[in-house]
Amino acid sequence: MSDALSLVLLALLVVTALAATLSRDLLAAIIVFSGYSLVMALLWQRLQAPDLALTEAAVGAGVTTVLFVTAIFKTQRMEEEAGRKRRRGGGEKEEGRP
Amino acid sequence: MKKVISLCFIGALGVLLLMVMASMPRMGDPQSPTNTRVIDRYLEGAEEETGTENVITGVILNYRGYDTMGEVTVIFTGLAAVLAVLGRERRGRIHAYPDRSPIRPSIIVRSAVSFLLPFIVLFSLYTVLHGEISPGGGFQGGAVLAAGMFVFAAAFGLWRAGRTVPPWLRYAVEGAAPVTFFLVGAAGLVGGAEFLTYMLPKASAGLQPSLRTWMTLLVEGGIGAGGAMIFLSILMAMAREEDAGGQAA
Repeated sequence: MSDALSLVLLALLVVTALAATLSRDLLAAIIVFSGYSLVMALLWQRLQAPDLALTEAAVGAGVTTVLFVTAIFKTQRMEEEAGRKRRRGGGEKEEGRP
Repeated sequence: MKKVISLCFIGALGVLLLMVMASMPRMGDPQSPTNTRVIDRYLEGAEEETGTENVITGVILNYRGYDTMGEVTVIFTGLAAVLAVLGRERRGRIHAYPDRSPIRPSIIVRSAVSFLLPFIVLFSLYTVLHGEISPGGGFQGGAVLAAGMFVFAAAFGLWRAGRTVPPWLRYAVEGAAPVTFFLVGAAGLVGGAEFLTYMLPKASAGLQPSLRTWMTLLVEGGIGAGGAMIFLSILMAMAREEDAGGQAA
């Protein structure tokens, strides 16, 4: 039973990690990444490391999420591929923010 | 071609990491150094030797005090690096986010934050002050406090957050973690003991355990307050308004 729960959490960890890496929408990636931190915090707790679970939940899910969102707010939300950027960026003025 | 090279590099790195992993002792192995050497000393001696009931706090602040002092300095260095790159926010110009956002946080978000914030702050204080008895401690409590302040800033704007936690307070407390750690560590030197022993041998014998506990609390408080302020300063520096000639939209 407890092993099954750990396996589900570990699978969720891999899925969220991949989703956060592969997503082109950086805001979505950040939200998924904060979910990753939540799963990680649960796993720390299951490994009997409550101190780490607390830190992971507060820093991973809370603090870094806000910092990442701020960074997106200052740059842009969608990740651009090199080729696409060249095609699009002709007459457009480079915008600091979305 | 570039992709193939990077894939080869990543693959080789992965193999190396897995090889190192394979050479590590298995988790929970009774023959591993962790289980044969230090664990008994920690579990049996921590309360008496460090004056903290929570063994993990004793290990982090006393047995591995040097490591923790280094880590605390690393976090402070992180702030210094952010400030070196981005610069400090200007006074009165820290309302870029989310005040400039076209979408204002709804009344639901603001009400929820108003309701939750006192509990978050209370929990962070509990985590810091109770860290030597139960799981938690300075860094955890500081992180919870920082998360609470971030939530406040996200819901009500950086301008109000900057008013609630004024800049002078932030600037003064930012360095608290390394400073209290070093001062409390050095207090032992004054009394003739070793660095980071957290106690003055000249104090009366009956006072010593509580003195140690107070020293531990002082370090925890410094780490908590300093850590929280460092996070807030990083947010303020990141979200600051650019100079008029720059990219400010």
